[in-house]
Amino acid sequence: MNTVESGISTDVVIDGAQGEGGGQVFRTSLSLAMCLGKSVRIENIRAGRAKPGLLRQHLTCLRAAQTICNAKVIGDDLGSTEVVFVPGTVKAGEYHFQIGSAGSTTLVFQTVLLPLLLADEVSELYLEGGTHNGMSPSYDFIVECFLPVLQSLGCRVETSLEQVGFYPAGGGAWRARIYPMNAASGIDKVDLVTRGGQQAELAMAMSSKIPEHVTQRELTHIQQRCRWSESVLRQRLVKSSGPGNIVSLQVNMGNITEVFECVGERNLSAEKVASRAITQMNRYLRAGVPVGEYLADQLLLPMVLGSGGKFRTLNPSMHLLTNIDVIRMMSRKSITAEKIEEDCWEISVTGNSE
Amino acid sequence: MKTVAISILGTTMDRRGKGDKRWDKWRPTISMCQHDDLLIDRLELLFDPKAQTLADQVTADIQRISPETTVVHNHLSFPDPWDFETVYSVLLDFARGYRFRSSTETYLTHITTGTHVAQICLYLLTEAGYLPGQLIQTSPAKRESTVAGHYQIIDLDLSKYDQIASRFQKEHKEGTTYLKGGIETNNAHFNKMIEQLEHVSIRSNEPILITGPTGAGKSKLAQRVYDLRKQRGKLEGKLVSVNCATLRGDNAMSALFGHKKGAFTGATNDRPGLLREADGGLLFLDEVGELGIDEQTMLLRAIEDKRFMPFGSDREVSSNFQLIAGTNQDLIALSQSGDFREDLLARIDLWTYELPSLKDRIEDLEPNIEYELENFSKKSGYLVTFNKAARAKYLQFSHSPAATWSANFRDLNASITRMGTLADGGRITSSVVAEEIERLLRKWKSGASLMNQPRHIIEPFVGAEQCDEMDHYDQIKLSGLITTCQQATSMADAGRKLFNVSRTTKASNNDSHRVRQLLNKYGLNFADLNTKLDAET
Repeated sequence: MNTVESGISTDVVIDGAQGEGGGQVFRTSLSLAMCLGKSVRIENIRAGRAKPGLLRQHLTCLRAAQTICNAKVIGDDLGSTEVVFVPGTVKAGEYHFQIGSAGSTTLVFQTVLLPLLLADEVSELYLEGGTHNGMSPSYDFIVECFLPVLQSLGCRVETSLEQVGFYPAGGGAWRARIYPMNAASGIDKVDLVTRGGQQAELAMAMSSKIPEHVTQRELTHIQQRCRWSESVLRQRLVKSSGPGNIVSLQVNMGNITEVFECVGERNLSAEKVASRAITQMNRYLRAGVPVGEYLADQLLLPMVLGSGGKFRTLNPSMHLLTNIDVIRMMSRKSITAEKIEEDCWEISVTGNSE
Repeated sequence: MKTVAISILGTTMDRRGKGDKRWDKWRPTISMCQHDDLLIDRLELLFDPKAQTLADQVTADIQRISPETTVVHNHLSFPDPWDFETVYSVLLDFARGYRFRSSTETYLTHITTGTHVAQICLYLLTEAGYLPGQLIQTSPAKRESTVAGHYQIIDLDLSKYDQIASRFQKEHKEGTTYLKGGIETNNAHFNKMIEQLEHVSIRSNEPILITGPTGAGKSKLAQRVYDLRKQRGKLEGKLVSVNCATLRGDNAMSALFGHKKGAFTGATNDRPGLLREADGGLLFLDEVGELGIDEQTMLLRAIEDKRFMPFGSDREVSSNFQLIAGTNQDLIALSQSGDFREDLLARIDLWTYELPSLKDRIEDLEPNIEYELENFSKKSGYLVTFNKAARAKYLQFSHSPAATWSANFRDLNASITRMGTLADGGRITSSVVAEEIERLLRKWKSGASLMNQPRHIIEPFVGAEQCDEMDHYDQIKLSGLITTCQQATSMADAGRKLFNVSRTTKASNNDSHRVRQLLNKYGLNFADLNTKLDAET
């Protein structure tokens, strides 16, 4: 059953094949639908892909969204290419989401975060599954980069990591306590046009159940290429259900901390893993913008749902452009993306709050 | 709909140690639950209780990577996982005992784990519908980095596969046109019969009985069944054809079953016999109703036990042959009169096909004319065709009541051969057809009377001169005597039939003596009558 002959008319119809045409359209649509209380029909989900329609990771996000707002859903089947999502009132509370290795806890977190921030009580999330699986921003990115920016906007989210979960064994677990926004003040305006000088850096090589020399070689490589002092190198040997490895580079630019990651794989040397993270970081440092690629994706929703604002970032990724398109279709806010120079774009959101 | 997978625990492939290295390795049962586009709601894990520890590990790992999946343990004992019979019955018992809820659940049977024997059994059970649903096959990725690898869902409903279906249709059609000798026949009854015969030829090695009048194509059909079976790899040996009417007395026994050197006068060498020659192949016994009772007895044993005793031998030999029997007689009537063993009839009467006479499938005459023309053209090396008027004339005659086609397709074959030979430049004209019609009418007319002429029967034995000097009445008496002797198994047997009334009034009977005396009067002896017949046919 790939199509829904529901005939239900929704407030918004989103073409799931637009832009990157994958899970991003889907998740952004769900989050906005819940926050704005609008029903949405998403069509042509992952059209043109080798295996079109909903995958398990999308279904997991859909079920999580349905759970927190008691939504009416049509088409929540694997392989479904059309979903109708009619959100109810978002309910704060305790939620436990178990996500298989094919999904990611951080993607589920992103889907439900804004709606729960806008609810009227504290929510406790318990998320089980992959935390550092390389297919989405890691737990560390959320905690070190994204949440501090949110906090500066007046949002309060506390997290604690119980166990790291790598692909494929998973088995990770973390908690997030989400405090409701002060309805009067709302989410503050974003202003991230300039960035300060580099104040601190940190290189973390984390691993579980693989030889220790891997993380050592990664750190040595980083030290040599970045000329960082030994005191900022961290080797984290963690306990996890299965083997795994990730390199994470964090740079504190005063007004923002950015995180660049690469997950270790079989047949990929430790040096290569470190290099890939360094390449991303160097691009960011060269560009002189405060907001990196992944943070840009995630800042849009708080801006649309809050008081707007602007930020400068790298050349926009397909994910970012897709998010912009979906936001334009679902909200009354005006959103612009303007090229300032190569690898420097300014994204601004203006307009009345909804 | 929920998706339920049924999988044998892979005691080799799912067992990758207790250590964490197992996560680097592809484990088929676990991989099934790792795919982004496949959600197994429930996994029915089948395993021997001895593998409980492994099952627990696999279950825990699946719960971690796929929390949506419920794993159900099913204890099945395979005493010998390579023994087809026990594995099949254990799995069959599982399938029979399992409560399938096909309205709310779809089933995938995993055929990557378990011994090859178990995989074959799962396949068979799925194909037979005991395990409803489809098969799933898993395979590792080329590079080890993606642990989930690949999976393939296979629907065994062959009718869903256009290519296979059309190919099967084609082969089936090829098979049937093969049996029909490539002739596009129109007679619905005949076509239906041939279609079934094609199925039977390919699927069964049991005896086939072909009945029908002479010239209807029995031996041709036997030849084609043989060719079809050989082509499909159903047999390897050769086709041995024999007309039982040519087998008489000692000769019959030894021709069929072979003999040892010195078994009888003239047996100067060992002879393997036709049944032995047909070992691994096909034996076609035409005119099977002509077999003597002794030969029938031996044949029955040879069919049932694949063993028999060569003439004059004290040791049994074996031959594994497939049998096709042909007859134009009513075997049921023969068995009622005691001339054909009832048990043998029952044995060969499993698949009976009655070939209609040409008259009875006259709509097939035209395609057969085409076939014969083409055949003749091939043999002669030049193309032979009718002109339009000649064709119409021949067809009209062929369908008319005057055309009796008494020897059926044999007549047609001869007729076309004659016309083809007489056709100048390969063109059969109206005058050629007119002559041929004359010839056919003459043949059928004289044939009908000739067969009833006593002279036709006695002349080969007493010669034309002596016939000319005999009264018609005497010719009738002699022809009756000869015919009875030919059909009898011995002189005594002939005597019992010839003197059936007078012998009951005599105190002592010497039937064979009376027969010999009668034959002597004409310079004949009993053995001669049979040999003469052998030589002729």
